[in-house]
Amino acid sequence: MQEHRALILRSNRFIGSALVDRGLISTDDLESANEKFMEAIQASELKRASILSTLLFETKALDEQALLEHLVEEEMLGLVDLNHIDLRSLRPFNVDLSLCWATSTIPFDKAEETYMVATCYKLSAPVIKYWEEHLGGRVIWFGTSTSSMTRALERIEEIHDAEDEAAAEDEK
Amino acid sequence: MPYSALILDDDADFNSLLTDIFEQADYIVTSMTNPLEAVDVFSETIYDIVVTDHKMPEMTGSEFMKKVKEMRPEVPVIMVSGYLENDTIRELIRDGVGGVFLKPLNIFSLLERTAELIEEAKKLETAPAGDAGGTALEKEVDAKLGFSFRAFPCKTNASTDFAERLHSLRNFRSTLSLIGEKGMHYRAICEDISRFSEGSSERFIYLSPGSFDEKQTASLIEEAKKKSAERVTCVLLEIESMSEGQKMLAVALAKGDGVFTEVEIPLRVIFCVSGDLDALFDEGLINENLYILMGTAEVRVPPLRECALDISVMAQQLVVEMAREKGLAVVPRFEKSARELFRKQQWKGNYAELRESVRKIMDAASGEVLAYPLVKAALQVNEGVSQRARLESFLSSQQTDIVRAAAIIFGGERGRVARFFGTDVSEISAKLQ
Repeated sequence: MQEHRALILRSNRFIGSALVDRGLISTDDLESANEKFMEAIQASELKRASILSTLLFETKALDEQALLEHLVEEEMLGLVDLNHIDLRSLRPFNVDLSLCWATSTIPFDKAEETYMVATCYKLSAPVIKYWEEHLGGRVIWFGTSTSSMTRALERIEEIHDAEDEAAAEDEK
Repeated sequence: MPYSALILDDDADFNSLLTDIFEQADYIVTSMTNPLEAVDVFSETIYDIVVTDHKMPEMTGSEFMKKVKEMRPEVPVIMVSGYLENDTIRELIRDGVGGVFLKPLNIFSLLERTAELIEEAKKLETAPAGDAGGTALEKEVDAKLGFSFRAFPCKTNASTDFAERLHSLRNFRSTLSLIGEKGMHYRAICEDISRFSEGSSERFIYLSPGSFDEKQTASLIEEAKKKSAERVTCVLLEIESMSEGQKMLAVALAKGDGVFTEVEIPLRVIFCVSGDLDALFDEGLINENLYILMGTAEVRVPPLRECALDISVMAQQLVVEMAREKGLAVVPRFEKSARELFRKQQWKGNYAELRESVRKIMDAASGEVLAYPLVKAALQVNEGVSQRARLESFLSSQQTDIVRAAAIIFGGERGRVARFFGTDVSEISAKLQ
C-alpha cells in the first residue's frame, strides 16, 4: 500500500475538510482524528489510516447514519449494501485491491463501458478523480457503509486467494 | 425589469432544458446552439448573464467566454458541462468564470448563483467613489459584517464570504491555514484575526523564513508571557519557502512538542501558504505532517481578480497610507475612470502588485486627483517594452520558482542544479532557502 501513500493522505485530508464544511463534525473533532491518522501513517499502518474510520469508531465524533443520510439527501447519491451483491474478482478490471483498501472503494460491477462503484469516500474529491481516471470509462457512484465495505473487501480478498490457489494447483 | 440571459449549448435537448429553467425564473432568454453565431449575437445585444456549455464543436466554452470578456468583461459567465478536469476548472476560474456547474444540474444552485452574479455586476456599475479618508468605508464594512475587518473592503461576495468564514473560525483551537496565491496580504489578514479577539489577552507573533527558529520563537513567546499574554498565536508566513528544519519546527509548534512542551499557555498557529497546496505537497515543499495539519481549519484567500469591486477601494486605502508616509496634507483621490482601470487588470501578483502599482502612481502624482492617464501609464508600464525585455523581466521575477523546479527535476542535488544553470552551489542554496 506504500505506493498509495500520497493518495491516502490526500483523500483523507479532503474527506476531513469536507465533513467539517458540511457541518457533520467540528474542527476540534477533525484535529483529534488527524492526530490519530498521522500516527497510523507514521507507523506505516496504511490499512488503519482512515480519518473516516477514526471519526466513526475511535473518537465517535461522526454518526454514520447521519453521513449516509447526508449523501442521499444533499449529494443525491444512491446507496448499496455490498453484503447483497454477488462480488467477483477485481482482476478483470485491472484493479489493485490495496487501492480499494486505501480508498474504501470497490468497482463491484460493469455493464458495457459503465462501472458501478461503491465508496465510503464520496466526499473526497481526490478519490473520485483517481477512480474515474483509473477506470477510464463512465462511473455510476454508490455510497455504502464502512462495515459493508470492509466485509466486501475481505470477501474479494478471499476470492483472489481462491483464484491464486487454483492457479497454483493448475501449475502442479 | 426581467434580466436577459444568453444560453449557448450545442446539445439541443439540454439547451431547451436550460432555456425553460431560465424562462420559468422570469429571464428573457436568447437560446443559441452555435458558438460562432452566439459571438455575433452577443456583440450586438446587451445581456445580464451568459450561460454556456464547455464542449462544443466550433469553439470551447472557455474560448467563447474569452470572446465575451474581451467585449464586455463585466458580463458574468456561467459554465455548464457534463465533465470538466480540475485543471480546466482552475483555468476557467483564472479567466473569470462566475460559476461552474456539472451535469446533472442543481437548478436551485444555478439560479441562485446567477442572481448573485447579476447583483454583483449591477453593484459594480453603480459603485460609489472610494472614501479618501477611509473611516466611512471602514464603518460601512463593520456595519455590514457585524465585526471589524480591514484586509478587504468586502464589496464582493468572494471577499465577504472570506471575512465571514475567518470570523466564524476565530476561536480555532490550534491551527488555521490561509491558502492563497502569491502576493496576498497575509499579515494584514492575520491582523484582522487578532482584532476579532480584541480585549482578550492574546498576543500574535509573526514569523517568516528569515526569522523562524527555535530560539527566536521561544524568546518571543516568553516575552509575550511577560506581557501577561494568556494565549499566543504564531503566524508562520511563507511556510512553503521555509527550510526542512523550519517545517519540522512548525509542526512541533502546532503540536506543542519539543521545546514548546514547556510553554505553559495555549499556543495556536496560523499557516500562510502561497500556492496550490496539493502541488506544493507533490513537489515536496510541504511535508506530510504539515499537509494534514493544514487541513484542519483551512481558508482559501480569494485572489484580487475575484474581488473586482474591492480593488479600486484597496488602491485608495493604499493611497491614504502612502500619503501619510509622504506627509501629504491632502490625500489624492482616483477619478472614476481611473478606478475602472483597476478592475480591468488581472492582478496576477495580487496585493503586492497592487501596492507596487499604487506606489508608482503616487511617485508620479503631483495633484489631488489621480487621473486616468497617470493610472493607465502606471498599470500598463510594460506596454511598448520589447519581447526580450518582457521575457527577461518575467524570468527574473520567477527566478526562485525556476530554481526550485530544477531542484525537483534533479532530485534535490544542488550540484547538478548549479551546473545546469552555470553557477555555483552557494547561489543555488541561497535561492532554495
